Amino acid sequence: MKQRPAHSIVLTLPFLVAACFVHAAELTFTVTDASGKPVPQAVVAVFDGKSAPTTNTATGKIIQKNRQFNPDVTVIQTGTAVNFPNEDTVRHHVYSFSPAKKFELKLYTGVATNPIVFDKAGVVSLGCNIHDSMVGFIYVVDTPLFAKTDANGSATLSVPAGAVSYQVWPAGKLKFALEQKIKVEGNATVKVALP
Amino acid sequence: MKYFHRWIQFKHIRTRFTVVILTVVILLQIAGLVPLKFSLIHHSNKIAENQLEVGERVYENLLRQNAAGYQQAATVLAADYAFREAVATGDVKTIESALVSYQDRIHAEIAYYVGEDGATVVHTANTKEAARKVDLAKVSAQYNAGTLRFDIIDGKPYQLISVPVKAPIVIGWIVLGFQMDQTVASQIKQLTNLDVTFVQSTEPKNWQMVGGTLSAQAALALINALPVLLTEQQSIQQMQSQDDAFHLKLKTLYQGNDGEQLVVVLQESVTKFVQELNTLFLTMIMLTFIGIMFLAALIWYTTKKMVQPISELADNVSQMTKGDYSHQIHIERSDELGQLGTMFNDMREAIQQRTLRIHRLAFNDELTGLSNRLSFMQGVHKAIDAHASMHEKFSIIVFNIHRFKPINNLLGRDFGDDLLRHLGQVLKENVFSPSDIVARLDADEFAVLLQHAGEAKAKAYVTDIVNILNQPVFVQDQTIDVRTAIGVTIYPDHGLGEESLLNHAETAKQESKIKKSEYVIYHRELEVDQSETLTMITDLKEAIAHNQLLLFVQPKIEIATRKALGGEALIRWLHPTKGMVFPDQFIPFAEQTGVISDITNWMLQRACHVLADYKKRGVSITIAVNLSTRDLNNYQLPEQLAVLLAQHGLSTHALKLEITEGSLMQDPERAQTVVRKLADMGFHLAIDDFGTGYSSLAYLRQLPVQELKIDRSFVMFMDKNSGDASIVKSTIDLAHNLGLRVVAEGIENAGVLTQLAMLGCDEGQGYFIGKPLSEKDFDHWLTTWEGSIEVATGTGTAKQSTFDKTGAKGYHPSSATLS
Repeated sequence: MKQRPAHSIVLTLPFLVAACFVHAAELTFTVTDASGKPVPQAVVAVFDGKSAPTTNTATGKIIQKNRQFNPDVTVIQTGTAVNFPNEDTVRHHVYSFSPAKKFELKLYTGVATNPIVFDKAGVVSLGCNIHDSMVGFIYVVDTPLFAKTDANGSATLSVPAGAVSYQVWPAGKLKFALEQKIKVEGNATVKVALP
Repeated sequence: MKYFHRWIQFKHIRTRFTVVILTVVILLQIAGLVPLKFSLIHHSNKIAENQLEVGERVYENLLRQNAAGYQQAATVLAADYAFREAVATGDVKTIESALVSYQDRIHAEIAYYVGEDGATVVHTANTKEAARKVDLAKVSAQYNAGTLRFDIIDGKPYQLISVPVKAPIVIGWIVLGFQMDQTVASQIKQLTNLDVTFVQSTEPKNWQMVGGTLSAQAALALINALPVLLTEQQSIQQMQSQDDAFHLKLKTLYQGNDGEQLVVVLQESVTKFVQELNTLFLTMIMLTFIGIMFLAALIWYTTKKMVQPISELADNVSQMTKGDYSHQIHIERSDELGQLGTMFNDMREAIQQRTLRIHRLAFNDELTGLSNRLSFMQGVHKAIDAHASMHEKFSIIVFNIHRFKPINNLLGRDFGDDLLRHLGQVLKENVFSPSDIVARLDADEFAVLLQHAGEAKAKAYVTDIVNILNQPVFVQDQTIDVRTAIGVTIYPDHGLGEESLLNHAETAKQESKIKKSEYVIYHRELEVDQSETLTMITDLKEAIAHNQLLLFVQPKIEIATRKALGGEALIRWLHPTKGMVFPDQFIPFAEQTGVISDITNWMLQRACHVLADYKKRGVSITIAVNLSTRDLNNYQLPEQLAVLLAQHGLSTHALKLEITEGSLMQDPERAQTVVRKLADMGFHLAIDDFGTGYSSLAYLRQLPVQELKIDRSFVMFMDKNSGDASIVKSTIDLAHNLGLRVVAEGIENAGVLTQLAMLGCDEGQGYFIGKPLSEKDFDHWLTTWEGSIEVATGTGTAKQSTFDKTGAKGYHPSSATLS
């Protein structure tokens, strides 16, 4: 089913006034679900259009422990290499059939031989061919401006002033939400209500 | 209830009991069976309903199990890494080939894959239509809810199952379809024992069977009924086919928007239940019937036991009604009926006793215990019947005791009773057979019926009795001489009816009495011929006119002095042809016809003549003349006597007038008037034959009589029989107390005369003193008697004539030896 969350953005007047005078501002996203409950682990990414992706040497790590991916939701910038160390005593067979990144780490223990480089933006769902219950997600975004909401469903990003767009999607969703454009003129709170 | 009784009249209590109780029981049974029948029907419906409900659950379960199995199998495919890889990479050909091989393996009719986005659809060759109709929302919803899903695809019904393909989150679905057909229906039937039919419509109201266990005919019936059944809302429905009835449960499995519908029908034949029900009901009715029959038998038996005594009582009563009291009622029970039986017995005995007593009173003589007249007459009647048929003879003998009345009067009623009992005893003891009847007909009259006895036997019996009675009878410490008159008749010689037999016996007895013979056997001559009587009367009148009558005198003396006093005038008839005729042969007729007045007249004249003659000779004697009833009723008699006496120059003292008790009785007032007149005139009146009549001394006392003559029967044997002596003594004493002189008749020997003298008897007459004598002989006696009076020489003595008195005593020479 196609999910098209409607983002409602509320800019308060003081922030709008302050934004005229600064180059960078703090954007606080509060994500709620349809019933108004805060949504944790939601992924927020902001695109300013300037910070175009450069060569990324960053590495990430998703540990398999207690037959779970840890963390189960990971956000990385495009080009990031991720290691999948196995801290369990049993073997795992981590795979992804996602178009953003298909890979397969055949039965292994410890750290797999090579880290996997995620060079394409998109959502990658991780599974273990042995353990069906192990589900993990990697959100690969073309921006360094991203965050995960905390337990209160809020995440704060420091973004440059000006027109930007952002995307919010809850964990477990394979598709990107449509980009929403806002103009950043100072510190502001963006309220996102997921459908 | 009144009408009910009017309608049904029970003849027996048993029937009533049985009918009433059985009616109640049958009504109760009906009252029980009818609701039971309804309850059973209801129950069977409930069972059918239950069975259908159970069937529904079972079939659902079965389909669910099937689905689970298929799902399990499909899950294996969905979890296959390579398949998932093919799906993830959009390798349509690989997916299709995997589905085909899987479809074959698990015998699914339909297999296709649909991506989670709904766009990607991969289907096997024959599943195109199914894939076309795919509805992702339904697929995931059905999977999540775990419900069963059906669909009609290409005009065929299917059960659809789906499993998600995960990588590791759901990226698509495998959908498998299994046709709902005969096989499934059979499976369900095997488990539920219900008929299962799948019907579908691919366009509105066009139903067709797609699989089922029904026969073609039943299926057709179902298809026809379906439109109606589907509109009804009941959970259990009913349907009638040509030869069966069904309970049905319909469930729509699938309903499309375009009139497509799939329905499963579970149905059960009601006939089976109805049959079971009917069998059960029939069994109950049979049991009820047997129970009722048993009950009927029980009631019949019990009421029989109960009513039997009543029947017995009824029988007994009917026997009693017929006069049979001999049957004892046996009711061995201690209940009310037993008591009733006992009381009945008591009542029966009481009635029997009373009846016997009544019978005794009616047919027995209480005093002697012998039969009475009524019973005797019945006995004779029976004997006539019996002997007539056998042409045999039987005898009737009638006994009469002489002078019973004075015996009773003077020796007491007890003595008389004992005497009667004694005689009865004697008669009874001497009969020949127990069937002979001895009866007491009257006061002193007995009768004996000797069965099968002719004259010889009767004579033998009579002779026996006479011999016994010739011995003095000893009663109450006294001996008494009993003399009887006996008459005998023989059937059929002397009569054919009981009345005539007895009357003739009476006649014979009368003859015996008159003739003083031991017994008389009836003969026709005893019946006095009327014409003969008339002749006799004519002769008698002639005799008076022509002086054929003679005066005889029986001497009389004064006992104390033995002085001759005179005599009693008696009459004799010297018949021109018959010779000497005795008074008993003509006096009764004379009395009946009134000729007696003439005779008395003649006697008085003759007596006066004789007296006048003696008076002339200076001899003072008296002569007694008997007066008859007619004389006493003659008011002119005193006048006539006065004239007569005057003619002869005699006083009233010369003539004595003797009257009998009987003569006074006919017209007592008239007789007394005459008697008083005579007494007033100075006549000496005597009561003759005292003791043979029925008057009492008390009555006699009122009469102006001076003298009492004791009947000779008491006197004759008084020296031998103390009873007789007692009677004589009592009579003398009583007479003297009343101031009467007493004359004893029938003195036949010196002993009696001496005894009478001792008893103070005043006068006497009898053979010992002198028998009735002609005038001449009397005259002679007067001169020769020891106490003779001086008699002048026989001048003017009337010519000899023979007289005897009326009443016929002592006229016959032989009577001296007879009583």
